Amino acid sequence: MAAATANSASRPSSKLAQLTESLKLEHQFLRVPFEHYKKTIRANHRVVEKEMSAVISGVADAADGNLSRDDAVNHLSSLVSRLQGLKRKLEEGNRAEHLQAQKCRVRLDHLESADAENMSEWNSTRLNRILVDYMLRMSYYDTAVKLAECSNIQDLVDIDVFQEAKLVIDALQNKDVAPALAWCADNKSRLKKSKSKLEFQLRLQEFIELVRAENNLRAITYARKYLAPWGATHMKELQRVMATLAFKRDTECATYKVLFEPKQWDYLVDLFKQEFFKLYGMTLEPLVNIYLQAGLSALKTPYPYTIYCYEDDCTKEDPLSQESFRTLALPLPYSKQHHSKLVCYITKELMDTENPPQVLPNGYVYSTKALEEMAKKNNGKITCPRTGQIFSTSNTINIYD
Amino acid sequence: MELNTIKDAFDRVTKKQKLSSSKTQEVIDQIRQEIENALDRMQSVNSPDSELDYRSVLRELNTSLRNIAPLSQMEGPQKELNVALSKYVKLLERSFNPDISKAYRNIVFDIRTLNQIIASHFYRQGLFDIGDHFMSEAKEPEAAANMKSLFLEMFHVLEAMKNQDLGPALNWAAIASDKLMQNGSDLLLKLHSMQFLKILQNGSRDEALHYARTYLAPFASSHMVDIQKLMACLLWTGKLDRSPYHALLSPTNWDKLADELKREFCNLLGQSYNSPLSVTVAAGAQGLPPLLKFMNVMAGKKQEWQSMTQLPVPVELDREFQFHSVFVCPVSKEQATEDNPPMLMSCGHVLCKQSIAKMSKNSTKVFKCPYCPFDIDAAQCKQLYF
Repeated sequence: MAAATANSASRPSSKLAQLTESLKLEHQFLRVPFEHYKKTIRANHRVVEKEMSAVISGVADAADGNLSRDDAVNHLSSLVSRLQGLKRKLEEGNRAEHLQAQKCRVRLDHLESADAENMSEWNSTRLNRILVDYMLRMSYYDTAVKLAECSNIQDLVDIDVFQEAKLVIDALQNKDVAPALAWCADNKSRLKKSKSKLEFQLRLQEFIELVRAENNLRAITYARKYLAPWGATHMKELQRVMATLAFKRDTECATYKVLFEPKQWDYLVDLFKQEFFKLYGMTLEPLVNIYLQAGLSALKTPYPYTIYCYEDDCTKEDPLSQESFRTLALPLPYSKQHHSKLVCYITKELMDTENPPQVLPNGYVYSTKALEEMAKKNNGKITCPRTGQIFSTSNTINIYD
Repeated sequence: MELNTIKDAFDRVTKKQKLSSSKTQEVIDQIRQEIENALDRMQSVNSPDSELDYRSVLRELNTSLRNIAPLSQMEGPQKELNVALSKYVKLLERSFNPDISKAYRNIVFDIRTLNQIIASHFYRQGLFDIGDHFMSEAKEPEAAANMKSLFLEMFHVLEAMKNQDLGPALNWAAIASDKLMQNGSDLLLKLHSMQFLKILQNGSRDEALHYARTYLAPFASSHMVDIQKLMACLLWTGKLDRSPYHALLSPTNWDKLADELKREFCNLLGQSYNSPLSVTVAAGAQGLPPLLKFMNVMAGKKQEWQSMTQLPVPVELDREFQFHSVFVCPVSKEQATEDNPPMLMSCGHVLCKQSIAKMSKNSTKVFKCPYCPFDIDAAQCKQLYF
């Protein structure tokens, strides 16, 4: 380990390059709070536009209408207090915008604070951030909040953004589509742009629930109003779901039976999550999965995952020495190497021209340093730590690869 | 990557946002002012023929609001803000990897296994409370219970050391002393030395001497020099900080000692010193960039990516991630496997078994080493174990 540090310290430029590369992975880290900020700005602006138009047309109505003087005075006063209310709302909105802008800045500063020579604390913060991301996506909200608090990274994780998702997901799990539909309405233009079918699926589900309750007339009215507009793009699904009117909830016909199954609700939750992640510029997979996959593949090699290593005391520091990590790595590709990298079994040091590998008569290879040290302590005798056989130093051979 | 450029772009966004919002405030105030003025005028006219007057005031107000055109006044700054907003998004996408899941293989990680790994991570970091919470929210209360009990004692010991209380550490090390000795660790002596210094610092020389006789003397044969140094400290009882040995009191010694204890403790538990989750995620942070680069170039090969057994590009990890030997056959460029092990040729060069079989036409003829002028007989080659 000490040798490793000395070695990498001698290449500061490559360390810096490496840091730059790993910072480039942090798109989501900056993007999510910014999307949140943007959303607040837009929402505030919409409120202003709406209220302003209302006040102006209020004045226009009064001018055109036939109000008594007192009514006109009252009317105008109510418009004034409406404007005052708007101003208060705007101030509140500005405070929210300011906080979110602050969050964006804190994150930029955090990226800047990464120092190539001393990454251990930054790396452990990164791991905590990645774990909070996982918990939020898995709806382990309490643990997410606790971990963020105890590692003091509240501004570096997106608990506030996920509050919005939690509301919708909780409702969907209670078979209530209203908050999800409201969310769709809030984000209408962006969902339309990405050709999202979330709203359509939610509407289908509501329709199915009406059919389930045998409320056929209402179901038909509902379909006319909310499903028909999707006819141009989703005709097939629409036809299929309409057929449930004929088949009813206890149908055994597989095509329609599945529409009544409770897992449709889980599917809606998943669909919502996907749209939510996209909207905020998050990856669709949890960050921890992405990092783990890359890490496991980079660490995985075809060779010692067999009887040689891991059964005995081969290094515990290798994550792949653990059953659970091997399970995850199983379906993943192993790493590609152009050159051999030989690590001494005894000292864990790299075997290179400075400290070349030597082979014992039994075929086991160790570093020159390790063998010399052992021979010095034991009157020129060498005990192979893996087989227990004893050899003399004259029997070792240098090898070249 | 230029973080400063990004910061500047963000400053531009907030500036435009401020401009836009102060414009909005201004317009609102302006409108309110107009309406209030109109109200004043309507109320001040008290003549009987005021009927007509208040109507003309309303009409005037309506015209002046139309002239102010508040919505189009706000439009300009709003547009500028929108431009800044979308520019910033584009800058982020250009400066960072906008989708790090490009090199993700669509397989489902077993959630149970992953949760167990995460819980174990918390326990081994000493975050027992978080680990418990996590397990109960993930509805698998027992999955990592084993890990928890293993590490509870260690953190109890370390916690005490943080308060300069060596009691629990000494207890543990005394019980584990045989195993520590087997591993060639002198941790027990280091703990006793630290305790001895602590007593000395408190100024009681007799007690320190007594302690040394009881606990340090048994190490005399193997660690004479260390113990002599400690004994010399007796001369500076109570003023050790002004002695030639003041370095022994450095607070970093406590950190080092705690670190060493943690290392030995993990070792005896059969656990790694570093959290395997931390190690793998750190390796992932180094491995992802080259993989993403490759995926960007090979945008059309997404399909192949899902099925390949070996990564398409080499991923150079730091030395600290090199846990065991990797042998790459210099002829076939393949990594050695159990079925294709490295073989030592009589000249001292090493190739993989399959390469030797190929070059010797399945051991039927002698061939030349590709690296030196030696003739090689396949039957004389010997398997190596790194």
